[in-house]
Formats: sequence, C-alpha cells, structure tokens
Amino acid sequence: MLEMLRQYVSGYVALSDQEFSFLADMLVIRSFDKRQQLTQAGEVENYMNFVIKGLARMYFHRGNTEVITNIAKEGELISSSASFLSGNPSSFYIETLEPTTFLSITRQHLDKLYRESPAIERLGRLLTTHFVLQKEEWELSCMRLDTRERFLHFVETNPELVQRVPQKYLASYLNMKPETFSRLKHLLRKRPSGRK
Amino acid sequence: MTNKGATYKAALDELHHQLSRFVPLTKAEFGQLLTHVEIREFEKKVKVIREGEVERYLNIVAWGLVRKYLPLRNKEITVQLAPEGHIIHSELSFYYRTPSRAVVETIEPTVFFSITYESLEQLYDQMPKIERLGRLMISDLFIKKDDRYFDQLKKTTRERFLEYIHTHPQMLQRVPQKYIASYLNIKPETFSRLKHLMRPKRG
Repeated sequence: MLEMLRQYVSGYVALSDQEFSFLADMLVIRSFDKRQQLTQAGEVENYMNFVIKGLARMYFHRGNTEVITNIAKEGELISSSASFLSGNPSSFYIETLEPTTFLSITRQHLDKLYRESPAIERLGRLLTTHFVLQKEEWELSCMRLDTRERFLHFVETNPELVQRVPQKYLASYLNMKPETFSRLKHLLRKRPSGRK
Repeated sequence: MTNKGATYKAALDELHHQLSRFVPLTKAEFGQLLTHVEIREFEKKVKVIREGEVERYLNIVAWGLVRKYLPLRNKEITVQLAPEGHIIHSELSFYYRTPSRAVVETIEPTVFFSITYESLEQLYDQMPKIERLGRLMISDLFIKKDDRYFDQLKKTTRERFLEYIHTHPQMLQRVPQKYIASYLNIKPETFSRLKHLMRPKRG
C-alpha cells in the first residue's frame, strides 16, 4: 500500500527512508463502499486522498444535472483541492464509484510535515504546480479541441476508465451529451483493427 | 529619470509587500531574491511570448496591463487579463519546456519583474523560505484558477458579467471590451447589451 505512494512521490522528489516514514506516520487509511460521499459541497474539505484501490469522482450540481470535473483511479490524488488549500467551503462533492480505499492526510498534518521537512515542502510545491498545470492543460484543450477530438484524446489516454466508469459519467466529464458519447464510441469500434 | 526611479522604487516596495503576505521576507532576503530578477520593459501591443516559442520567464506585472490568449483557426480566446501585481506567463511551456500554445501580449506599455526557470530553481535550492513562498503562491494561483473554472461552468452569462464588473470596475476602463467578453466567454454583442442594461441603474 505504502509502496504505491512511495513510487508516486518519487516522481517528484527523492525522500530518504526517514522522511518517507515521517510522511507515512501522518496518513490515515480510509475505506468506503461504492457510491458513498466523502466530501460534501458547502463543507470544508479536510483531506487530500491518494487512491490505493477503487475509483472516485468529483462533481457539482447545475440545475438538475451533475457536472463531473474529475475522476481518479488507483495511484492518483483526489480532493476538493481549492477548499483543502483555502479552508473555504467546497463547491464540489466527491463520491466513490467502486469500493475504494484511500491513504489520506489532513491539512493540519500536512502543515506539520511542511514545517519539519524541507523535502516534503518541496513535494507540496511540485504537486501543487502539477495541479495548476493539469487544470491549465484541461482548460486549454477544452477550447482547442472539438467534441470528437476530445473524445478520441480521452479514450487513447484513459482506456482503463472507458471500461470501468459508467458512460454517462464519462460524457459529463468530457462535457458532451451521453448520446454523443455513445455515437462516438460506436464509430471507434468500426475502425479497422490495426489502424491507429 | 528621477521620476522613473521613484516609480521603480514604489513597484519594488509593492512587490516586497505582496510577497511578504505569503512569507515575511527581511530586506536582506528580498535583496537576495532581487539579484535573480530581471526588469523587462515592453511597449503596448507587443507579443512577449509567441505561439511555438518556449517560455523562459515567470513575470509579475510591475505596471501595465497584459493579456494571455489562445490563437485558434478563426479566433482568439482570452484566458487571462493581468494588471499590476499579477503573475502572467505561458506556464505549461515554462514548466514542461515545450513550445507555447498560448500568446502573451501587452495591452498597455508594461514593465515586468521577471525570473527565468533556472534562476527560480537556484532560489529554491538556496533559500528554504522561497520554497515555502513558491508553494503558497502556487496554492493561491490554484484556488483562483479553480474559482474561475467553476464560475465558467456553473454561472450564467449574466451572473458572470455582473460579478466581473463589480469586482473589476477599473478593468472596464482599461481593457478593450472584446477582450473582456472573450475572457468571460460572452459574445461581444451580448456583452454590449448587458452593459447598456446596467446604465439606467447608475446615479
């Protein structure tokens, strides 16, 4: 379980065994059944969560529809990050799609780590930078790519999610109608195999 | 010349004040940071970074006004409007060292406090306080970006318009209307109409 996190972290900074166990000591393991909410809109997000096993989505309500803004699988982080960082109420809900286990850390514990370990403070800076860039990339690609291009880009980079996540959620995440998603998926099947 | 010197002094004091809201910096620490900072001046309507170039700098606007946009086949989409004190650059290009898709262009004559990627890395290595400053400034940026993203998805055109003109009245005077409309993802015609609706309420 910790090995997975260790590997993730090593993509950003090299932590000594001591620094990593200092980090590990601050984590809690949280397990949820499927379709359970771990974060509510209007409440402050207390945790940053690393997915060990399972799948979760982040969304908000627009009228009667749910708009999905993030889907996280094993080895990825999910949190209502702006609320976690600012302490303001969350605009989003987070809900599990499968039975899910997280390694989670509170803001308080994270601040303690930052105060005591410069390497972990650097990790925090790099991860936050990564979040900003991810957001920027998503925003620009929504402007740059049309519906069809967005669909193709997504299925090429996330083949696993296409299998695991209900289609209506993927459609919402990609900001297209479920019918459009369905139609595009059929088009994909008809492409001769072996041609990319 | 004296006048210009005084303006720089004021802008540097403002920068010191701005950074110290995240992490208090002594005069000496701020001085050390400044040794890595370049002052760059641009006329109005100058492209600071073009599509296809790799962004070398992170810029803070000392004075002036700058926009960032995405050039598409038949239009430009404005993604940021940065007055004094704001950070503006092509960040994906800056961090990933890849050709920029975005263009950064001045609207007014502008002076930047700029730092290169390499200098920033050096500062992070030399001064742990700057590491904290970087983390907190980036967190702040994330929160602002998230707010804007949420507003675009959730709020109506009218709500976006009203909120923006209430929170940024001075920008309406300084920024060409078509850029603000593009930034708010509102058609220029709709923007004009909403602006006229506002008038009778005044006075």
